[in-house]
Amino acid sequence: MYQLKVFLDLMWYFKKEKWYYLGGIAILAVVSVLSLIPPYVVGVIVDHIHNNTLNEQVLRNWMLLLCGLAVIIYILRYLWRIFIFGSAIKLARLLRNQLYEHFTRMASSFYHRKRTGDLMAHSTNDIRAIEQTAGAGVLTLVDSLTMGGFVIVTMAVTISWELTLIALLPMPLMAFATSKYGSMLHKRFGKAQAAFSSLNDKVQESMSGIRVTKAFGYEKEEVEAFKKKSDDVVEKNISVAKVDALFDPTISLIVGMSFFLSIAFGARFVVNGDISIGQLTSFTVYLGLLIWPMLAFGWLFNIVERGRASYDRVSGLLKEKQDVKDDPGALNTPPTGEISFDVVQFSYKNADQKSLDNVRFNVLPGQTIGIAGKTGSGKTTLVKALMREFDAKTIFFGVKPLQSYTLDALRSSIGYVPQDHFLFSATIADNISFARPDASYKEIMDAAKLANIHEDIISFSEGYETVVGERGVTLSGGQKQRISIARALIKDPEVLILDDSLSAVDAKTEEAILESLRRVRRGKTTFITAHRLSAIHHGDLIIVMDKGRISERGTHDELMNQNGWYKKMYEHQQLESLVKKGGRSS
Amino acid sequence: MSEKHKHLLEPLNQRLVFKRLLTYAKPHWRWLIVAFILLIGGTGAEILGPILVKIFIDDYLTPGIFDTQALVWLASGYIGLHLSAAVMNYTQLLLFQKIALRIIQELRIDVFEKVEKLGLSFFDQFPAGGLVSRITNDTEQVKELYVSVMAIFVQNIVFLIGVFIAMFYLNIQLALFCLFILPFLIVIMQLYRKLSSKYYAEMSEKLSQLNARLNESIQGMAIIQVFRQERRMNKEFKEINQQHHEAWYKSMKLDGLLLRPAVDVISILALVMVLSYFGIMSLNSPVEIGVLYAFVNYLDRFFEPVNQMIQRLSIFQQALISAGRVFRLMDHDELAPDKEGSASPKLSKGEIEFKNVTFSYDGKQDVLKNISFTVKEGETLALVGHTGSGKSSIINLLMRFYSVERGEILIDGHSLKSFDNKEIRENTGLVLQDPFLFVGDLSHNIRLYDERISDADVVEAARFVNADSFIEEMPRKFQSPVVERGATFSSGQRQLLSFARTMAKKPKVLILDEATASVDTETETKIQEALERMQKGRTTIAIAHRLSTIKNADQILVLHHGEIIERGTHDELLLQDGLYHKMYQLQQGAKQLEEPLI
Repeated sequence: MYQLKVFLDLMWYFKKEKWYYLGGIAILAVVSVLSLIPPYVVGVIVDHIHNNTLNEQVLRNWMLLLCGLAVIIYILRYLWRIFIFGSAIKLARLLRNQLYEHFTRMASSFYHRKRTGDLMAHSTNDIRAIEQTAGAGVLTLVDSLTMGGFVIVTMAVTISWELTLIALLPMPLMAFATSKYGSMLHKRFGKAQAAFSSLNDKVQESMSGIRVTKAFGYEKEEVEAFKKKSDDVVEKNISVAKVDALFDPTISLIVGMSFFLSIAFGARFVVNGDISIGQLTSFTVYLGLLIWPMLAFGWLFNIVERGRASYDRVSGLLKEKQDVKDDPGALNTPPTGEISFDVVQFSYKNADQKSLDNVRFNVLPGQTIGIAGKTGSGKTTLVKALMREFDAKTIFFGVKPLQSYTLDALRSSIGYVPQDHFLFSATIADNISFARPDASYKEIMDAAKLANIHEDIISFSEGYETVVGERGVTLSGGQKQRISIARALIKDPEVLILDDSLSAVDAKTEEAILESLRRVRRGKTTFITAHRLSAIHHGDLIIVMDKGRISERGTHDELMNQNGWYKKMYEHQQLESLVKKGGRSS
Repeated sequence: MSEKHKHLLEPLNQRLVFKRLLTYAKPHWRWLIVAFILLIGGTGAEILGPILVKIFIDDYLTPGIFDTQALVWLASGYIGLHLSAAVMNYTQLLLFQKIALRIIQELRIDVFEKVEKLGLSFFDQFPAGGLVSRITNDTEQVKELYVSVMAIFVQNIVFLIGVFIAMFYLNIQLALFCLFILPFLIVIMQLYRKLSSKYYAEMSEKLSQLNARLNESIQGMAIIQVFRQERRMNKEFKEINQQHHEAWYKSMKLDGLLLRPAVDVISILALVMVLSYFGIMSLNSPVEIGVLYAFVNYLDRFFEPVNQMIQRLSIFQQALISAGRVFRLMDHDELAPDKEGSASPKLSKGEIEFKNVTFSYDGKQDVLKNISFTVKEGETLALVGHTGSGKSSIINLLMRFYSVERGEILIDGHSLKSFDNKEIRENTGLVLQDPFLFVGDLSHNIRLYDERISDADVVEAARFVNADSFIEEMPRKFQSPVVERGATFSSGQRQLLSFARTMAKKPKVLILDEATASVDTETETKIQEALERMQKGRTTIAIAHRLSTIKNADQILVLHHGEIIERGTHDELLLQDGLYHKMYQLQQGAKQLEEPLI
């Protein structure tokens, strides 16, 4: 019974939509009462026939009543569906919006902890289960109680309470059996699902490992292994079918017994003159009306069990706290001016080593900062700290710490080009104007030209209206990078951050992009992290990161004189580019 | 996705798909007949119940005759019928489900088998995710068709026929009247099928848009936040959510208008018809009340199967679309290259010759240009060059993953094309750059599917490649579990395992695609030792990144943009002061920087 608690959890929503729910429940009750009329009419007619008291007038009246009833019941049934099911799907819409809004407030740490697949499952399957509870769950609860109650009362009052009691004897068995089968089914179904997902994993593995399979010539054996897995799937599904197939025969057996009891004992009552033969006929029709409420009661528990688990998961997700948020009284004016890092240390949650360790440097407006270092040395952490993806203390922007600005204000001063050039499945124009949806076509094209991607875009048949992503064209890594550069440049931001964003373009394009940056970024601050030093060697200040610390700093010339990592790496990369050209220096 | 795979995305004709699905049921005809007989038996037994009650009411209750023996017979008949109906129905329900599950299994195996036969050219271009979903998810949809649509339809139709037979037995005239219900139901069904397929398609389209947007937003949340587009994205999401909601609402309304409520109206009207019939009849002549009871009872049971069938119509259509996708894949003809000609030469020495080989994947751009070389029995050839120079293509051709069209490849003097694929696979050992491990245990990953390789051979192979030391240290040794993609093993360990896997076959020709991932010094030493031992006495072609492998090679080919630009031994090439020399310098420098090698 404790599963029914989910109805209490959902009470806030029932209250919010109380008129719909109350209206729906009232209509359901009315429908239940009206459904009792046809069996009653059957009894009346049978008795009239039996007693030879039937005439055309009586028959016509009763039949017209039934026809009118059919229409009324039709309308009412339609209405309660709109009220109750309609409210339930509104709840789904509401929860989905809430979840989405919540997601937009969550910082990156949240997304590191949760897998996309799980978040998707919560937003789809779990919401579906909650919707079922608020719709079908409420229906089955109300319907089984009202319909069941009215039918039993009518049978007992208008015909015979003794006969009612006798006929109902097998019915609890049915509620028990359906709920029992339901939970068995749920368990077995879980196993069948697991077998299916293991089959899915096997196929996934076969497809990824196809090279090994082909190299060793084991295609047939792979098929055999697949067959074995699919045997398991069949077996688990058969065990589901074994329970599933129990439902119908059990129900009709129990119903059959109930009918048997009512006919057998009812006949005795008729003989004794306690009830008429017409009443007996009505009685069996009433009995037919009881099947559904009994079944519903069994189902109710399964719906509610799933709904409760899902609601707990979704509300747990909605309760997750915001990691990075606005301080009270934060300024809503976008910061400008000098940026200074004064970070004593920062480490990610659950990480042993420091990601930033004693990082201090100043950047004047208009300067370009190059950041170099091995993978994992802290380059990206450094620039992400500036955007407040997490709070590393303390970074000053225009003399005030970052926390004294609202997130919105701070980020409006920053343009960011991430490492993993993520584009949305939309047109190229939409992607470039992502931060400024109102940008004119000319502005979009200017940004694309600056990022050296304009020529590529106009070569597509749809030009700027080309859709990218799964449903559209597949872009090369370099093209994606340049589009995301254009996306950042269209903002003309106070601070531009390029996080290893030139790695996939060739040397000539890189040079062209750097050249246009020099032109448009005059007077504004630019951070560039790069593995390839040619992207940063022109910087006003170059920082080499190592294990979260600054290991070398200075201009290119200064660093080349230091004979450290920077110099070695630079020479190595010079040679590397020579090799790429085929060994001939050009 | 390339042009030649576009057709895989187009839908197939639904009627043909349905016919083809039915052919899968053919081999099961024996059990299907058994299930049918049980179904008819069970339905019959269930339908006879009300007739017995009718007999009781008309012959005993109404006239007031109570013959104990006859009544006991009737009662036990009634109970017996219900019990046997329950048993028969349970058995037939289960049988139908079992057959349906077997059919799906066959369909799955067929499509998987077909995919395994396709050439690597297909896998290199068709996204793996799409393949997996066709083999599993789409066939799962088809399962719904068999399990919850066809089985239910067959059962309910038989039940309805049974009900009609009983009605005809009881009263032909009234039964004829009842037939009038059918056109109404058919109209509702058709109407619902037509409208719902439209509404459901709209709803599922909106749902997939909604999910796509959600998925994309979760993945691109950092971008959304950095560019401060939370408000706009929220608004857009709300709009999509609203559209989905409206589509859902519409189909809910449709369900309300045409499903249960509508069928219920018809059931009340049918009741009106039956009652009027008996009422009017009774005005002129006496009627049997038992017959009336039976009719009312049958009508009660008549409409539940109808409801069930109508509700399943939309699943039916979705399943056909999925089945179409599966059949498309099954019909795709891009098989792996097979042997040509009737001769079946044996690979005995392992002498390899490339003669003016030029090759292109797409027919437009040549990735190999006029490549010629010879590797004598037991010698080692090292292929050197940067990414995209054509090294991997040479291996793809040699393994016959792709077929050579221009030029020729000879092994032991026979054209590569004349060999059985099996002969090539058994005698050449390919070590892949990405040492793919399968879920299972270590010994499975070394032996793979070759039962001829004994446990002792597995241990021997592991020892031969220096993999035994870390394996022996693990608590379950060779039975140690391997998780997905071997994530619990270091990249060095994975490389050693893939060496062991290759050496367990004792190949005559060794083809090495050396991994670039850097490993710790100790493992590196082990790998180098193992490599030297593996090459000894074996013809070896290596895409080499390790200096030791290159230095020990009898012949080095330096590739650039698909051409051989330098060739010779290590010492000869160093003297030439060309690309090889530069690469050598680069590699020496990289060592100091602890950067990954080229």
